[in-house]
Amino acid sequence: MRSVFRVVENRRESEWTHTIFFDQEIESRPGQFMMVWLPRLGEKPFTLSYPNAVTVKKAGAFTEKLAEVKPGDEIGLRGPLGQGYPPLKRPALIGGGVGIAELRLLALASEAPSFVLGGRTADEILFYEEFRELGPVYVATEDGALGHKGLVTELLPVEADSYAVCGPERMMAACLPKLPAERTYFAIERYMKCAVGLCGQCTCSGWRVCTDGPIFPAATVAQMDDFGKRRRSKSGKWETI
Amino acid sequence: MIPLPRIDPPLINASGILSYPEVFSAFESAGACLGGYVTKSVGPREKPGNDNPVVVYPPEGAVLNSLALPTQSAEDWERDLEEIKLKKAKLIVSVYGGDSREFAGVTRRMSRFSDAIEVNLGCPNKEPGEQTIMESIGQNPALSAEVIERVRGETDKPVIAKLSPNSDYLAVAESCMNAGADALGCGNTLGPGLAVDIRSRAAILSGTTGGISGPALKPVNLRMTYEAYARFRCPIVAYGGIETWADAVEYILAGASILGIGTAFMRKSTQEAAALTRDIWEGIQSYLDGEPMSALVGAAHRTADGGDSDA
Repeated sequence: MRSVFRVVENRRESEWTHTIFFDQEIESRPGQFMMVWLPRLGEKPFTLSYPNAVTVKKAGAFTEKLAEVKPGDEIGLRGPLGQGYPPLKRPALIGGGVGIAELRLLALASEAPSFVLGGRTADEILFYEEFRELGPVYVATEDGALGHKGLVTELLPVEADSYAVCGPERMMAACLPKLPAERTYFAIERYMKCAVGLCGQCTCSGWRVCTDGPIFPAATVAQMDDFGKRRRSKSGKWETI
Repeated sequence: MIPLPRIDPPLINASGILSYPEVFSAFESAGACLGGYVTKSVGPREKPGNDNPVVVYPPEGAVLNSLALPTQSAEDWERDLEEIKLKKAKLIVSVYGGDSREFAGVTRRMSRFSDAIEVNLGCPNKEPGEQTIMESIGQNPALSAEVIERVRGETDKPVIAKLSPNSDYLAVAESCMNAGADALGCGNTLGPGLAVDIRSRAAILSGTTGGISGPALKPVNLRMTYEAYARFRCPIVAYGGIETWADAVEYILAGASILGIGTAFMRKSTQEAAALTRDIWEGIQSYLDGEPMSALVGAAHRTADGGDSDA
């Protein structure tokens, strides 16, 4: 369940984002997550972007350290954990920011995917060239450097047989009413502690994101009053999203 | 003594497991066979608890946790419990503090929401620089009694003194019962224990050590249940490694009348966890075969000639 892996490559994807490759592949379903442990520093959840890599955006002390690991360094991994995506037919994969990284393995596992991607600037549209080889890619950037100038939600709806959405929660909340309740899935993020359904810390309206999710059908998300609105912080105190 | 509320079925979650009222509601809606829910321990002021990793399960059959009592403030807990109500199940609020005055203050705020107050005397985890409740209070019969007495003074609800297995628990229990406890919780996690990663040569838990739960805890808390029942014949809420109906029946025979489930929920979705509680309850019922559960509480104390081994 918990193993220590050796880092073999640290690939810089953008100014803020790095992909950390390790020496063994992990069998997981797209959407499942790993708890990544830096000994003596901390542990946080990440979804694999390759069978042997996670993509990390520098956003705090832990992710800064993780983005700086070097070949030969060791990191611990616990998982795969949680519920992934079911097999999706002809999906539109809708990603925002570093959430795009999670869609990579799902794209490779899906037939005829299309992509709807958003970021602040072109630099944030991860795997853009690779995705263009797999299917049509629609892009929105807030500064207009690539694709539509504006938000990813302004590109919706798009025609597809199924939908997967992974990005900042406010973006996902804006997508919810624009997508069908059937065959649409959202990847929800919460502050996690145990990551195995015990402590309840990652609750979203009572669903424990670590074991009931992190991938949830839209019909379930529609019942979550807290989705897009509030989450429990490390102490359990509510914070606004 | 104030009787415990009717918790039907007599299964609950352990404190620190599931933790929040909205999770309890989700379990209730999913048809979980839990007659009551216990909040995570409510403390007087906001506290984040330890950094991750806070859970490790290296040896088979044991889980170590070092969450160290994260809590929002008691005022914020009041708002939560105001907002989110259970439909049918009873609510037990677990309380803690740094001293008897803080325990009393939290109880004062929580009493109106609870069907019973569980007093956490045994948490073996701490943030760096703190003392654990187990060390500062739960191992000391006089201080434990002082806590129970002040909690008793703040609530008309039944008070459960939840003991640490790492204490002279019968002495602590005796002083708690004399101070006004109505029931005993047998008990908290064991240890704390340690897990070391041999590659990085680091202690895995950020809190270094963590309380031990799961199957490894069962024989220890089963013994505590047995001894506490022998001595006090009081209602006992038992916790520790209950994963199957047979585990639950062992605790009933030892003297428990309410059973807490915790680590058995590990890696289970809400649907799977609800199904587990149904399996446990159905198994207990078929074991009872029509007899009331009360007839079997403490049955392991009977002698060959039908007498009482504790008499």
